[in-house]
Amino acid sequence: MRTSLNELAAIEQQLLQAKQPDEQLLFEAKMILNSELRENVTAQQQAYALIKQYGRKCLKAELENVYQQLLHQPQHQTFMQRIKQIFKRT
Amino acid sequence: MADKLNREALFITLYQQVFPAVCRYIHKRGGVLDDAKDVFQDSVIIYYEKLVAGALAHHNEKAYLMGIAKHLWFKKFNSKQEQVTDNMLSHLINEEANEPSAAPLLHYLETAGRKCMDLLKAFYYDQLPVENVARLFGYSGTHSTSVQKYKCLEKVRNTVKQKSLSNEDFIE
Repeated sequence: MRTSLNELAAIEQQLLQAKQPDEQLLFEAKMILNSELRENVTAQQQAYALIKQYGRKCLKAELENVYQQLLHQPQHQTFMQRIKQIFKRT
Repeated sequence: MADKLNREALFITLYQQVFPAVCRYIHKRGGVLDDAKDVFQDSVIIYYEKLVAGALAHHNEKAYLMGIAKHLWFKKFNSKQEQVTDNMLSHLINEEANEPSAAPLLHYLETAGRKCMDLLKAFYYDQLPVENVARLFGYSGTHSTSVQKYKCLEKVRNTVKQKSLSNEDFIE
């Protein structure tokens, strides 16, 4: 892999995998000395957070799609009637 | 497990087995069907993330989901302070509720880099093994799949850096 991708992999190891304290200290020292590395680590953390948000958004859409199937498909009619009945009770 | 078809089958089962109980719970507390649907869906998201991380010690998924749903209902619609008995669960729910919104940036990435985001989601969110990702996305092998993952991650990271440099939201 090219150098920039190796750097991504190295940062990923630091951020997502459990490290020995001395390895972590060494990496933190590198970050203090190298502002570009610091910037990349911060941006990569944000990238992982965005991927998580995207994942949740997709999952929510899949759940809504299943709900719509339950609402409209004939084979689920009895089930949805039961659900609607719950909210009709006083 | 995290394959789309398997997920759909799991969700249908969860709706059939757990959604009625969530509805009854929320109806008793003054909520409507849409409230129950929102709470149930958010509960399943939290449950799913624990499941793919292999962090679920519980065997009774119905009881676990009900626990999450009850806590989410209290957080969203009750002003009273509620005692949290499960600290790990509370942490997860707090994270869900306090997530910073990066809507414009996410929208940009979804439109300009959909295939990358789907690939990254498969690895990092669904936590699929690299062999499964290679098969799903049509890559020739696990090495080329991993290389593509890092290329995509680099694109997303560069987008984040550009945004922080310009300090502007991405607009259409």
